[in-house]
Amino acid sequence: MAPRQSTPPAVLACGEIRTCLLPARQALDIRSAAQLLGLRADERVLLSERPGLYARSPETLTGVDCPLPSANGARVRAVGTVTAHAALTEGRVLQTSAHCRMPGTGPDQRRPWGEYLVRPGVVEPLGKLPRDAVAQGVLGGPRHGDLDVGLIADGLLTRVLRHPLLDQRPPFRSRPTRLRWAALPAAPGEGPALERFTLAEDELRTVRLRVPEGTAGADIAALCDDLALHDWLLTTVVRMLDGLRLGAGAAHDAGAVVRTLRPAVDHLLHLWMPGARVGRELAALWDPLEERPGFTRQWQALVQRIRDQLTLHAIPAAHREVEPAP
Amino acid sequence: MLVFAASDKGGTGRSVTSANLAYQRALTGDHVAYVDFDFGSPTAAAVFDVPGAMRGTEERGLHSYLEGETAEPVRIDVWRQTEHPLLRARPNQSGRLVLFPGDAGGGEFATGEEALERCVDLLLKLNNEFDVTFVDLSAGRSYAVDMVLDATAHPRMRNVPFRWLVFHRWTRQHVIAASGLVHAEHGIIGGGVERGHDEDELRAAIRFVRAAVPDPESPLWSQGSTAQATWMQACDEALRRLAAEQRIGDSVVLGIVPLEPILQWQEQLITEEDVLSTQIANKETLEALEEIARRLTDDTHWGRL
Amino acid sequence: MTEPVFRETAAEPRTQSVPLAHLSVELGHLYMEDFEAGPERLRAHFAEVRPWVEAARTAATARAGGKRARISTCFLIDDYFTRFSTPAEVVPMLLAEAERAGLTVDYLARESGCAVTGKVPVAEAVAARIVESPPPGSYGLRPPAAQTGWLANGERSPVARAPQAMKRAVTWQPPHETAARRHSVFLDVELWSDDADGQRLWSCPFLAAVWQLARLGLLRNEGEAVLAPQPHTAGGFPDKWDELPTLLQLNEHADPFAAYRTCSVLPTRFLPVEHAVRVILDQIEVDPGALAQVADRSGKERMPVPDSVADRISYVYYAGP
Repeated sequence: MAPRQSTPPAVLACGEIRTCLLPARQALDIRSAAQLLGLRADERVLLSERPGLYARSPETLTGVDCPLPSANGARVRAVGTVTAHAALTEGRVLQTSAHCRMPGTGPDQRRPWGEYLVRPGVVEPLGKLPRDAVAQGVLGGPRHGDLDVGLIADGLLTRVLRHPLLDQRPPFRSRPTRLRWAALPAAPGEGPALERFTLAEDELRTVRLRVPEGTAGADIAALCDDLALHDWLLTTVVRMLDGLRLGAGAAHDAGAVVRTLRPAVDHLLHLWMPGARVGRELAALWDPLEERPGFTRQWQALVQRIRDQLTLHAIPAAHREVEPAP
Repeated sequence: MLVFAASDKGGTGRSVTSANLAYQRALTGDHVAYVDFDFGSPTAAAVFDVPGAMRGTEERGLHSYLEGETAEPVRIDVWRQTEHPLLRARPNQSGRLVLFPGDAGGGEFATGEEALERCVDLLLKLNNEFDVTFVDLSAGRSYAVDMVLDATAHPRMRNVPFRWLVFHRWTRQHVIAASGLVHAEHGIIGGGVERGHDEDELRAAIRFVRAAVPDPESPLWSQGSTAQATWMQACDEALRRLAAEQRIGDSVVLGIVPLEPILQWQEQLITEEDVLSTQIANKETLEALEEIARRLTDDTHWGRL
Repeated sequence: MTEPVFRETAAEPRTQSVPLAHLSVELGHLYMEDFEAGPERLRAHFAEVRPWVEAARTAATARAGGKRARISTCFLIDDYFTRFSTPAEVVPMLLAEAERAGLTVDYLARESGCAVTGKVPVAEAVAARIVESPPPGSYGLRPPAAQTGWLANGERSPVARAPQAMKRAVTWQPPHETAARRHSVFLDVELWSDDADGQRLWSCPFLAAVWQLARLGLLRNEGEAVLAPQPHTAGGFPDKWDELPTLLQLNEHADPFAAYRTCSVLPTRFLPVEHAVRVILDQIEVDPGALAQVADRSGKERMPVPDSVADRISYVYYAGP
């Protein structure tokens, strides 16, 4: 067989990330994290200690052969592999992230499987890729039977959560979030851009990006992992404060306020570091989010509110002339 | 905490009562999940009045999930998707109330190793997300009962607290049957011990709820004759003795739900509105439900006796 | 982009490279039954092999554009499924018979090295790199309970299982080869078996697939090369197989053990095993770093390798026992 020319460049990359609290009483240290994420005997877990503890599993591949989701109903079959990894931040927040890249055209029929395996993370259309319709289809959510990278992230999450290291005693109740993303090529000469960040249903976020040709799928995934992590932190802390009954009527329950907010201090407040693990070029995509709505601004307000609440409740009730109000 | 709702026979009001308990817990601010493991006849959608949301769940309900055909079972946010006009306005400070329905066309099925692992995955996930998770189990010694006994004995579930509520009606046959479900050789306790549960701990986590109990003092019966009243008193007394003999006496009863037409005929959630303004439900019923819901997590009502 | 100032070595992947020849020719496998058949069996084998080795050499030289092709030869002895005799007895006999046929054995390998080498669980690591070929309709849901320890080239017949009450049981359906052209040649390969004590026994085709990956220079453990050849320095050969290095370099002037392509000369009875090897290789995700190194270097030598790893191996079968 004649060797194939290199794959045509990807014209669409997409992925989905699940983010949740690690169900363990104690945050995992770096060695336990390496154990948890050692998905393969022959590949190391990547460990990093600056600017915070971070561990990432080797990539795992899942084979797919199915129609691509599309907004206009076109059913284009595609074959290839979706790559996925799990990551743990500060031994506390667990993420699984699955993604793939798609070239603009592919062969008319399926190739031998081994040829797909040497291009990990590439899903090739049979024929031409209706790029914009697929990007929209991915973000809108696949129909049953269409390619669903979210299921692959979920499958990996389920696998990691079955690890015996986890005692299944999370320090507080929280909800996992999903972040779906799609990246289209930027116009020639243009830099990367974050076109849209949407809070969809309760747990779903969607991100639409433009990236210069040649941007590695792994780099885009790293940016989206980072967005997902920080969005989860915001969502989780907002819900923690939502669940509180504050104000005069709840004066007797100062203990409850402290019980509810303390886990945030113990486990979450030190995790805020947007852009820390993103390549310089893509890290710039944080800027529009910082401007409006201002992720870090909201985070700082929440942190301040938590600290104020804890300070107020540290004062014996008799000395509190005015009850804290929300 | 996980709460398993079991009954030996159908018609005990198990589903409707546990759905009401879930509703009551959510009103107090807890995040509550209601899991419909009544595989033979999934009915929870009717109780929560979410029939519209059930469309399209034929293939993504709990049956499909346990059989590995879908990765995430459908969840229905009751406050948002109910067609019940009163529930729609989610009460202030209430927690989330999420229904996990069975497949619309699903029947009872045999479970295997993989289904058990998936069941454990699901229960752990819910326990990490919700304050209380109600699991409604098919009547009798069903696959559903076996599966959750297996699941709660699983090493991954060792730190997850759970409690059992066994529902029965206040008749001779139901008292004997409920006792059998728990105490017979391969009953919940025996079956649990076979699966590695500690007998004392399991026993301490089981309480009974007497449902549809006619209260001889109730105005409902005040029109009756003296002879009738005496007869009812005597029956009630005899049933109490029987229950005690059957080891399901007052000390292991978490609560008593009075005979309530709305639960018998309509199978719906009882709201304050039903009691106060339309007065189609009895105040005593609502109070009983509130009290049982409260006692679920009140440790003084649980433990070895 | 500028190089970052701060680096953490544990946070960056790396892959060790290995020297590479153009072609690795396997002169044969030796199993207990071959040994028991006496030196005549080996003699007959090498006599059959000799012309094909010449042919492979000629073909490789042609592919190298007339330049000297780097070719190494190797021989595999089974010490995994059955232990027989001793290296001190077997190896000299083997080398003598090869020499008599005019062949040189550059590298000698023990089959158990494909299971475990030193402390590296090679076979287990390769098994963890299997990415099953998805049948059409695979959209990302985990396949319901894959057959642990088996690998097929398509979809198995559905297993009759207890259906939900009131649902109909499924009738028999044939298995289907995913890459079938009209009709299927379905193959289901047993990768390993576990005995009562939980001891895992790797199957012959699976170890043969590992062996092929080693010869293609594509095995890594945490980025380090595994099955690196040890030079033969001692005068003789040990009395215990475990004391023999798993991969021994017998000819100090030999070209590198690993190569862009492999060719194995075997009697026809190995055909089913080698079919299974292809089915396995076609579904293994090889270390991407190692893959890139081979692609890069072969490209620079203008001897590009086929994309698919399974297409880099070839066989010559001769009629015979």
